[in-house]
Parts: sequence; C-alpha cells; structure tokens
Amino acid sequence: SKIVAGRKLVGSIVRTSHDLSPSPVTDPSLAMAESSGKTLMDLISADPTPVPAQSTSSSSSSSTPSPAAASAASSMHQPMSTKTTLGEKKSKRATLMQIQSDTISVAKAALNPVKANIMPQRQRQRKKPVSYTQLARSIHELAATLDQKSSQKQLVNHVFPKLAVYNSVDPSLAPSLLMLNQQCEDRNVLRYVYYYLARILSDTGLSPGGGIPTPNWDALADIDAGGGVTRADVVPRIVNQLTSEASNSEVEFHARRLQALKALTYSPSENSELLSKLYEIVFGLLDKFKDYFPVPCRSTDYISCRFQVADVPHKRKKGVFGTKGGDKESIIRSNLQYAAMSALRRLPLDPGNPVFLHRAAQGVSFADPVAVRHSLEILAELAARDPYTVAMTLEKLASPAGALQDILHLHDVLARVALARLCHGISRARALDERPDIRAQFNSILYQLLLDPSERVCYEAILCILGKYDNTERHGMDERASGWYRLTREILKLPEATSKDKSNKAKRPQPLIKLVMRRLESSFRSFSRPVLHAAARVVQEMGKSRAAAFAMGLEDIDESVHVNAFSDALDDAETNDSSHPEGIRRTSSISAGPGRNETIASLLASLMEVVRTTVACECVYVRGMVVKALIWMQSPHESLDELKSIIASELSDPAWPASLVNDVLLTLHARFKATPDMAVILLEIARIFATKVPGKIDADVLQLLWKTCLVGAGPDGKHTALEAVTIVLDLPPPQPGSMSGLTSIDRVSASDPKSALALQKLVQAAVWFLGENANYAASEYAWESATPPGTALMMLDADKMVAAASSRNPTLAGALTRLQRCAFSGSWEVRIVAIQALTTIAIRSGEPFRLQIYEFLNTLAEGGVQSQLSEMHLSNGEDQGVSGTGLGVLITPMLKVLDEMYQGQDELIKEIRNHDNANKEWKDEELKKLYETHERLLDFVSLFCYIPRAKYLPLGPISAKLIDTYRTKHNITASSGSTDPTVVATGISDLIYESTQPAPAASNSSGLDDDLVNAWAANLGDDGLLGNNAPAMSRVNDFIAGGGTDAPDVDEENVFSRPSVGYDDMWAKTLLETNDQEEDDVRSGSSSPDSTGSVESSISSHFGGMNYPSLFSSKPSSSSQTTGKSGGSKYQSTYEGYSSPIREEPPPPYSYSEPQSRESFENPMAAGSGSRSYESDDEEPRKSTGTRFGTALYDFTAGGDDELNLTAEEELEIEYEVDGWFYVKKKRPGRDGKMAGLVPVLYVNQS
Amino acid sequence: MILAVLFANSVGNVLIERFNGVPAEERLTWRSFLVKLGAENLKGVKNEELLVACHKSVYIVYTMLGDVSIFLVGKDEYDELALAEAIFIITGAVKDICGKPPTERVFLDKYGRICLCLDEIVWNGLLENTDKDRIKRLIRLKPPSEF
Repeated sequence: SKIVAGRKLVGSIVRTSHDLSPSPVTDPSLAMAESSGKTLMDLISADPTPVPAQSTSSSSSSSTPSPAAASAASSMHQPMSTKTTLGEKKSKRATLMQIQSDTISVAKAALNPVKANIMPQRQRQRKKPVSYTQLARSIHELAATLDQKSSQKQLVNHVFPKLAVYNSVDPSLAPSLLMLNQQCEDRNVLRYVYYYLARILSDTGLSPGGGIPTPNWDALADIDAGGGVTRADVVPRIVNQLTSEASNSEVEFHARRLQALKALTYSPSENSELLSKLYEIVFGLLDKFKDYFPVPCRSTDYISCRFQVADVPHKRKKGVFGTKGGDKESIIRSNLQYAAMSALRRLPLDPGNPVFLHRAAQGVSFADPVAVRHSLEILAELAARDPYTVAMTLEKLASPAGALQDILHLHDVLARVALARLCHGISRARALDERPDIRAQFNSILYQLLLDPSERVCYEAILCILGKYDNTERHGMDERASGWYRLTREILKLPEATSKDKSNKAKRPQPLIKLVMRRLESSFRSFSRPVLHAAARVVQEMGKSRAAAFAMGLEDIDESVHVNAFSDALDDAETNDSSHPEGIRRTSSISAGPGRNETIASLLASLMEVVRTTVACECVYVRGMVVKALIWMQSPHESLDELKSIIASELSDPAWPASLVNDVLLTLHARFKATPDMAVILLEIARIFATKVPGKIDADVLQLLWKTCLVGAGPDGKHTALEAVTIVLDLPPPQPGSMSGLTSIDRVSASDPKSALALQKLVQAAVWFLGENANYAASEYAWESATPPGTALMMLDADKMVAAASSRNPTLAGALTRLQRCAFSGSWEVRIVAIQALTTIAIRSGEPFRLQIYEFLNTLAEGGVQSQLSEMHLSNGEDQGVSGTGLGVLITPMLKVLDEMYQGQDELIKEIRNHDNANKEWKDEELKKLYETHERLLDFVSLFCYIPRAKYLPLGPISAKLIDTYRTKHNITASSGSTDPTVVATGISDLIYESTQPAPAASNSSGLDDDLVNAWAANLGDDGLLGNNAPAMSRVNDFIAGGGTDAPDVDEENVFSRPSVGYDDMWAKTLLETNDQEEDDVRSGSSSPDSTGSVESSISSHFGGMNYPSLFSSKPSSSSQTTGKSGGSKYQSTYEGYSSPIREEPPPPYSYSEPQSRESFENPMAAGSGSRSYESDDEEPRKSTGTRFGTALYDFTAGGDDELNLTAEEELEIEYEVDGWFYVKKKRPGRDGKMAGLVPVLYVNQS
Repeated sequence: MILAVLFANSVGNVLIERFNGVPAEERLTWRSFLVKLGAENLKGVKNEELLVACHKSVYIVYTMLGDVSIFLVGKDEYDELALAEAIFIITGAVKDICGKPPTERVFLDKYGRICLCLDEIVWNGLLENTDKDRIKRLIRLKPPSEF
C-alpha cells in the first residue's frame, strides 16, 4: 500500500508540475491542453492505473474537498510532498510557481524508483510518465522508422493516445505528421494524424499570431527537435497537403478525402484564401453530383423532379443502414456528398449567393441522413434571412410528394428539427404573402411535425407555431400573439398521401391545441428530467404567447370555445366537397362522445394540473422551470393562492441555487412587461422571495421590480402595489443576537446571519422605497394639495390629524403608519432610513400629513414617546441617546426645515392679513423679501429630497400669486430650460420598455394624466441611467432578451458579497468627488439613504449596493443641514434654482439629455437619488443656457448671504447675469466653503 | 451550439473537455460549475440517468457512466433534449469502446479512441455523426457507408 500511496503521490506531483506552468492560459485550446495535461498525467505514464482520487487542477480543487485530504494522507508517507500539498491548498498560483521548479525535480527524483518497481518495460520513455517532449520526440523517431511494423503499433497504441491528453500539439510536430500522412498506410495511424493536423489548424484561430502557444511546451521544452518551427511555417504546408488530398478523386482514397476535408474545416475562418479554396472543393464535389439533383427545379423539370425524388429514399436507406448491397459508385457518391455538406455547414453562411443556396438545397435529396440534416440547417438559417428565395428554391420539394415530406420520416432527429425551423421560417414570411400556396405547404409540414415521435422535434414544432423565434421586439409580440391564436384555432389536416401509412386514428383532422396538450401531458408523466424540463419550458413559452395574445387584445381569444367547434367547421367544409366521407363519419361519431365538451380553458386547466404535480420532481432545475411556466400561465384573473404556496414551499428548499432564484425573479420582470396588469400579483410573489430567501435574491433586481410594478400598476393599482412592496416592512427585521426568535416570526426565513443581514438590507431598501415613492403611489403632492395651510394649523390634535389623514388618503396614511413604526421598531439602520423617508414625505405632502409627521418627529426628538413605544430597544445594547432612538442628531435638521416652513407660512399669513386690513398693495421690496424667503426655503427643502422647484411652494399655496407677481415683474422664469414639451415627449418615446410596454403608450394617449407622465418620465430618467450602467437593469434586459450564456457563478460565498464589493469602490469614489466640491458638507442627514447622514460610510455603502429606484430624482443630499453650515450648500442649490432646468411636471430625466455625463460617475446608487443629480446639474445648464467662463479680476468680499467671496485670478463659471451681477460658480469651494453666488459683473473677466 | 463537452472522474478531475465558442475567461468558471454540479447531484445516480440544469439560456445535461461523469452544455437548438440525444450517442460510443460502463482506468486506457470518437460526434460545436457503426468506421478511417 505504501507503493500505491507513493504512486498516488507521484501522480499528484506530476500533475501539479503541469498545473504550475508559468504563463497564464490565454489560448482556449491550450487551456484544455493544460488542464487535461495536469489531470491526466497518469495516462501519460505508460501504465494506466486507477487514478488516485486527487484533484490538483485549479479548476476542481475548489469544489472537491477530498483531494486535500488525500494529498495530506499521502504526505504522511512522503514528507517531501508536504510543500506541494500546502501549495495546492492555498491554490495560489504565485506560490505554486515559486515552488514549481523544486517540485518538478522532487517529482523526477521520486518517480524513477517507484515506477521502476512496478512497470513492465517496453519502451524507453515509459520508465517515467512521458512528458510531452518525449512524446514529441518519439513521434519524430517513429515517423522516421515507419517501415517497421512496430513503429506503427507504437504510434497507435502508445504515442498518439497519450498525446491526445494534450489535446493539441505544437507546430514542430507538423512535419513529422505530414510525413506520416504521406507515407503511412495504416488507417489507424492516419486517423490520428488527421486528428492532430486538425488540432494544429484550429489552434491558429484561437491564438492568432502563432508563436509559442502553450505553457506546457514552454515549461517542458528541453526539446531539440522542434526548434524554430512556427505555425506560420507549417500551416500552409498542412493546408496544401490536405487540400490536395481533399481533391483526390481516387476511389480508394475517398475515406481519406473525407477526413482531409474535415480537418480543413477546423482552420480559422479569417483565412479568406483558405476559405475560397474550401468553397471551391466543396462546390466542386457537389457540382459533380448535381445531375443527381433536380437543380434548378424549373417547372419543365417537374416530372424529372418527381422521379428523382421518388428515387432518393431507396438510396437513403442504404445510406443509413447498409454496409452491404448498393452499388459502390452511389455509396461513394453519397459519402462524398456527406463530406461536402458537412464541410459546407462549417463554412460561413453566404446569404445572397444563389450558388450557395442551390448547393445547400441539393443536400435535401441526398442519401446520407447527416448530409440532409446539414443541408436543412443551412437552409433554415438562410430562410431566416431571405425566406422568399429559399421558398422558391424549395417550392417543389415541399409539395405533398416532395423530398421534404420524406424527411418527416428521416431517422435523424436534428434533421427534423431543422425542417421545423425551415418550415416555420418560410410559412411565416411576410415576403411570401402573395404565395399563400407555398406558405400553406410548409405550414402543413410544420403541423405534421407535431406528431413526430421525438419530443425534441414535436417541441420544436410547438415553439415554432407559438412564434418563439421572432425576436424582434414589436414583431415578436405580434408573432407570439398570432402564434397563440394558431395553436388554439388551427387544425392539423394530414395530407392523404401520408395518412396511408399512418394509423387510422390520425386521419381525423385534429385541433392543434388538443394534440399539443395531449403530447405535453404525456411528457409530464415522463421520468426523464430533460423531457420534464423541456416540457415545462414549452409550457412557459405557451404562457408567453398567451400573454402576448391577451396583451394585444386579440379578438376571439375566448377560451371557453369548444375546441371541436373548429374541426367541425372544417368537417363541414369537407362535406361540401365530399372528399372525405369516412372522416366525417368518424368525426361525427366522436363528436358525440365525451371529448365533445372540451374547451381550450379545460384543456389548459388539465395541463396545468399535470404541470403543478411536476414540482414534485427532485431536480431543482426542473422545478424552477415549472415555477416559471406557472408564472407565465398565471392569468391576472385567477386565484393566486396556489402559485403562491407552491413558490413559498419551493423557496424553503435550500437546494435552490441563488442563480435559479434570481432567474425566477427575472421571470417576474418579464411577466410584468408582458402583462402590466399583473403588477400586484407579481409583487406579491416577489414578496415571497424577499421574505423566504433574502440572502439569495439580487436586491437590485427586486428593487427594480418594485419600481416597475408600482409605476405599471396604474392609478388604480398603485395603492395595492405599494402595500405589496411595503408589506416587507411588517416583518420585524432580525436583530443581532436574537436570531433564534426569528423562526417563529411570520414567514421570515433568515436562518443564518448572512440572510439575516440581507433581509435587513432589504427592509432598509423597502423603507427608502416607501419614503421615496409613497407620494407617487398616493397621488398626494404638496404642490397639488387642496388643503390651505391654515387648516393644518387648526388640527394640532394628533388623533384628529391621523383621522383626517387616513380619511383623506388611506394609501399615504398607511405608508406613514408603517414608516413611523419602522422609526421605532427597526434596527438602527432601518430607523435612520425611516426618519429620512418620513421627512421626504413630509416635504412632499400637503396637510395634514406634513403636520402629522412634524408632530411625530417632534415627539421623537423630545423622546417623549420612548416610554410608550420603544421598550424593545432596551434589549439591543445600543446607546439610545437622549431620545431613546439615537436619532436626535438626524432629526434636528429635519425638524428645522419644517419649522422654517411653518414659520414662513405664519409670517406670510400675517403679512397678508396686514395688507388686507390696511388695503395696501404689496411693495416691490416686500415681494422681493417674500420671494427670497421662498427661494431660500426651496433650497433648504431641496437638500432633503427632490421637489419640483417650479411648483413647490414652501410658503403654502397662498404664496403662489405673490411669487408669481414678483417673477413676472422681474422677468424670472421659474422653469427656464425645460419648458419645451418635447423633452418630455422624447423621453417617453425613448422609454426603455418601448414596444413591449403598453403602459407608456396608454399614458401618452390619455396624455392628460400629469401624474402618470411624471412618473414615467422620472422613472425613465432612472432607467436611462440604469440602462447605461446599472447591473440590475442590464440583467433584466439580458434576461428578457433571452441572452446570456456567460458562465455561472460558482462560488456561493460571492453571491452575497459580490455586488457590494464593486459598489463600495464606487461609493468611495463618489464620496471623494463630493468632498472635492463640498469639503465639509458631507456629513449630516438627508432624505436618501445613500447620503452618509452621520452614519459611517461603511454602513451607507450597503445602500450604495442597491439601486434605489425612485419615481423622483432626488436633489443632492450631500449638503449640510446643520444650521452653521447651511450657508455654503444653500448657494450651491440656489444656483440650481435659477439655472438648472426647473422641472415642470414631469421633471425631465437628466440622463436623457446628458447620457455621457453619467459615465464619469458610474455609481449606480445614483439612480434617482443622492449625488446623482449633482453632476447632472453641473452639466445641464451648460447645455441649456450656454455657460460662459471667466476669471476673477479682483478680490471681492461678499456683502450678503447670496454673494460670493472672490480671490483674484480664480476661475469661474458664469451661470447668468442679473442686474449687473453675475451668478458664478467656482471650480472648488472657497475658504468659506461656498461654491457659488453673486459677484459684480465688473469683477469678472469673461473669457 | 454545443458549448462544452466535459468528462470528469468521480472526484471531479477533468478528463476531457472540449469548448466551442466559450470565451477563454469563462471556461474555468464553466468547468468548476459543472464539476460542482456533478459533485452535488451525481451521487448514487444510475448509469446513464440524465440530469438537467440550466443557466440563463444555456442548458446542461449530464450523466454518470461507470466512474466517469459526462457533461454537455448547449444553447439554441441544442436544448435539453438535443443534448440528451447527443449525450446518448456519446455514452453509447464510450461504452462501445470500453465494452461496458468504464472504470476510470479503462477510460484512460482507451483515451485516444474516445477522443477520436468525440471528434466524430461533435464537430465544431455541432452534432455530427449519430450512428454507432458509422462512428466506428470513421475512427478507423473508413468511409461512413461502406460498399
């Protein structure tokens, strides 16, 4: 056993030594070579023994725990290997490289004695594991001594198989291989030679530039034979030899001809010279046998066509089964046809080339089934581009006795699959509208494929009928809708020709839907997982087409129609021409039977019953597909309970990988886009994900779903949608240390710290979402509020306020209640966000909501409610601070802004009364003062959240008139920059959801619903942004487009941490940028969670990891709200107030006018919030008002709050001029921290 | 397109792999994904029982044959069922060469021929020959149909 252990060790070491090859693998084929080499060194050692259970390859070591143990075990016997073992464990390439050299030498030292004891000696090299070098050398030697029988034997039995481990060989072997190719007679040797020549050729494509391609060869290159041979030298020689072989028409040579042609197709397609050579050979071969094929099939040839076609099946049979019989000539011909067609399939498609098309079409009648398959595949691809020409070429073949009909019975599944695609491509082509006859022929073949014995073919036919393969957006919807219509309405009528050899049963015309349903139902009873998975997928596609049909509002979708009604209609038609008397009798007799009452709905119901039972399948991927199918088949009006419980129980299964969970989440997105009506249903489902598997889902994607659903829910559904989102909040977030209590809480499954943390983040996200979007959902805006401010003052009694609030707007009242609860009951992080959310709502809402929140915040700040409400916090060990919530610092500035607003309102009312009483006109100074207060408050408010400056009236509705007066007098446009309605219009039409999304269209047509337009526009801004750089959005789009083949994530550790890592960096970047501009103003609280708000940035960066979607784009929140510091940032905002496009509703999305500006600023959290608008505000005015630049001529000392200190030579951006003053902005804040303000025109030198 | 064909032994060492149209940087991920998938699901699975997985629009069908696990990754026309078809042919060919579901040793013994077979079955990412006899003839450099 010691020896065995030693051998194991040896294997391990040797593999390791290969693993250590110094250069990074870039060449894919070489990657294979490398990995194969390292895992398979045992094979190379001459005596293949059971390979010890060790994994040293970097690929597998991570996933298999045993190898480490195994090597550890062997290290007990052989202490010298310890080093290697440790290195493996660390799996640090660098470390490994360091120890590489001594490992190899150790291995070499160790190998000899051990191997020598065991192995029978037959060959010099085999005393130890044969290196690539040795193999290469023996090829050279053996090629030179080919005349000896033993050489050939050695090549076939030892050298070549071992070389196969390397998967690829270096160019230095080519001369020997070519020599073997020319001189050797042995077929087995030659086969390997072709194999390796093909490898050499294909290498070129993968590592262009040639050179020394593989680390293995470098690492082991003590080779002398191969020096100086490069790929550039050998490839032309190989190609020449192979092409001459491929053109060799000797009969005995034709098997080699096939292989030569095959090897040639491996050469990279960039080589146009070689390509044209290949085309030449292939076309030459096909041309030689063209007499066998009726091309071009002109109408005069029709008879000969038929004759030829009828002739073919016999030949084909021989091709399939026969090794005996048949004349030699036709068999050789068929072989060469096969070779030519296979090669043609690997050559680039040449659409528009009639020769190419004809050669491909030739293949349909070939005897060789594989050749037929390739031919059909090529034709199907061509038909996707140019259906008309292909249809014309194949016209005759599709006729009832044509060659295409024969393919229905061809024993090659993929050939029939290709036939389905081809028929679909042609039968749906609009280019063939004038030739309904041709379309009907191909359509009939497609329908017949529904009866195919192979599931693969049948499903392909179903998918084709459903219109799955039209991926163009709008067109795709149409196709899908009509696909559903076809499936539910059309009848399969078998042509008489084929019905002869079918059973009688099939004779009766069958509604497609019935056939399909029966087929699917039986598939779901299969035990094969691929079949189950595929069937579920087909059901999903059915659901998609059905959803499209409903979305398009196709008439006649009524699913309660009896399916037989259609076939009856058809029967009637047939009665008239009395061509099918037997069929009618049969039909009518069956019609009276039990199947009579089947409706589409009932068929679907019974199918879905079977589908549901499939969730019992033990394969999680099958279940995943079933869940997706169920989501797609769920109709908006059916009960959701079953689906919900299925999903809930599914998600409880820990076997679900995160990627699959997210796939289902993305399916919800896709479903929503197909049927916006389902927003609420989908949100409910999404909620299950949030609560069941918070650790597995992608919070970004979930957020995006929330947002899109909320917007898509429409005015009526908004309330419910918001409820569905925020119901997440009703789940008490897990508190540190109290994990055990979690399991008892309603449906929350955060069983490990990781998912607990994820859930908490989710709750934070939901709270923020609520704050940001509650006003939208409730359609409650201060600037549209009907309640005069005075009323609010009369409702200071809290109870009355709550009552009034909830009677006025239950949605908002509900949201407020939730947020208030969160402000008390959440974890520390949640509470902060809740407070910020409340402030946002307070600012955006009219009375009595604002007052209600004001009162609440006041109470909170004073800590008066602590005794009643926040007992639970005593347990979590935090310093509760003065108020018991630890939020005092945060609340103060928020209260202040509200205080100031109320104060301003009071004063205004007083002033108005004074004026009214005295019957005085408002003087200009008074108006100016009022206006300044208005603007100041606007700026202040803007620090907390986004508000539409043009409409927002911090002094209450009553101030509107006066401010208007002042504005008119002084020619101040509140909405400079964005009054142009086209901004909005363009925005809407540029919607990311474009055609698939009916909702924006609807809002366009109604045109008047400001609110919705507002939402869409804002939303659109976000999406534009997200579309540019947010991973969630691209993930969703990828998914919906059906793309995505990139490799899956394997490391589960990363699933959770992955997104935030990247964002952390971006977060840090933002932080820095903000610092640049506003040095010390980054610290205090603000409305959006991505502001630091006296929270450590590490915590905030959690928020940064999510794209908080907002229907509003928030104002920069990175400014200070503390009294002392408000000055500086105020100016910054003031400037915005003047010059940035002040949004009329809807606010124009920044990202549309300035998509590039975002690029330097890719923090995805900026979506609709925080500093995002900061930069765009910088950019925007430059565009819209034509910003000028200048330098300060002299020092200037500010004489008032709105003025700006200047130092001579300072560079300035001039925003606008007013009354002899420039409003300027500095590149960096001055010593006083101010960025922008007014300076005298004369002090500035304009550049 | 058949994106990948991968053979691994029972502990997850890659024995053979062929990638088509998979960027080099994704191969390692695919490799470890597949091996992990096998490690998690192939325990106690019967010979040639087909398992299925999917990732985005890519399908994976895999199975166990003797000591060797075989994975196929495909997309587009190579969906679960087409891959099942392909894997059936591959397992058939391997069994033919090895005479039975192979132990790892036997598999490595026949390594060269298995590679040749694979070369005839999957050609540039497309399924080529499906007929056993035909494959047998082709790896001995005989024409696909003989006279």
